[in-house]
Amino acid sequence: MRISQLSLAALALVVFSATAAQAQSNNASITATANVQTPINVLGAQQLNFGNVFPGVNKPVAATDLTNAGRFDVTGQALAPVTLSFTLPATLSSGANTMPIDTYSGIYALNSAQTGGIGFNPVTGASPSLSATGGLFVWVGARVTPATNQAQGVYSANVTMTVVY
Amino acid sequence: MKLLTWLVIGVALLEATIPAVLGAQKPLTVTGVRGVTFGAVFPGVPRVVSRTDPANAGQFDVGNAKFAPIQLSFTLPSAMVGPAGATMPLVFGGSDAGYSSPETITSQVGFDPKQPFATTLDKNGKAAVFIGGTAQPAPAQRAGAYTATITLTVTVLP
Repeated sequence: MRISQLSLAALALVVFSATAAQAQSNNASITATANVQTPINVLGAQQLNFGNVFPGVNKPVAATDLTNAGRFDVTGQALAPVTLSFTLPATLSSGANTMPIDTYSGIYALNSAQTGGIGFNPVTGASPSLSATGGLFVWVGARVTPATNQAQGVYSANVTMTVVY
Repeated sequence: MKLLTWLVIGVALLEATIPAVLGAQKPLTVTGVRGVTFGAVFPGVPRVVSRTDPANAGQFDVGNAKFAPIQLSFTLPSAMVGPAGATMPLVFGGSDAGYSSPETITSQVGFDPKQPFATTLDKNGKAAVFIGGTAQPAPAQRAGAYTATITLTVTVLP
């Protein structure tokens, strides 16, 4: 009889211990979302053109000169803020001959007519926002200072603009 | 009668030592409360969402397991998928997940979501789990909407 009582208690212990050992597991999911904006595109639309330059006579081209100022056209995500930076040459070259270029100036506007344009210094760059259609126009002017004995020739150099979000 | 007495005594003793077992046990719950929102992402510019960001961090709620030792395990995507099958890498750092016993985003214990995390639920049997991450768009990343699924598995440890 005693053994049966102990067995019963032991059996109860085993049953409840088995219940305590069961593990629970559950899971749930969430979603990560992102909206990638339109990539930036930059086009060198117009050269910075000093035209005919005479030795010893400085020749400037203003950024407001829609015909001769250099122009970049930017496209990207509408209304996105961007940063403009420039690599500006110190000289133009014609073979082994060089001619100084300096006094850079810049204007950016949301239209090609330069209406409402904002002036800036290309040396330090600018931080405009693209238009509602994702556009931006940037003009660059400068000045060349030919020496009095500047050699005849066609002089050129690259002006580079970098645009990032 | 003696048999019945022994059985009752046995049950009483077990109730004293294992109350959670003999009481009615509710099933463990895990709920996805909020997704991770990276929002506007610009090509070439990594976008970080902190696990402490109240607007954009992801959140799960865990419930119904008082004093239970638990293990948290994430199933994490390596990339988000967008238009025309384009993919954008999604990276999780060593402290991009957080466990909060008081269920508040301002009070978390940070942990690596890439590794299982063991802890114990408190007397309330509830907790919140937060997660952030970094989206890494390429400079020529295709524009459009991208998504990915993050799964949290919670296991009550024996």
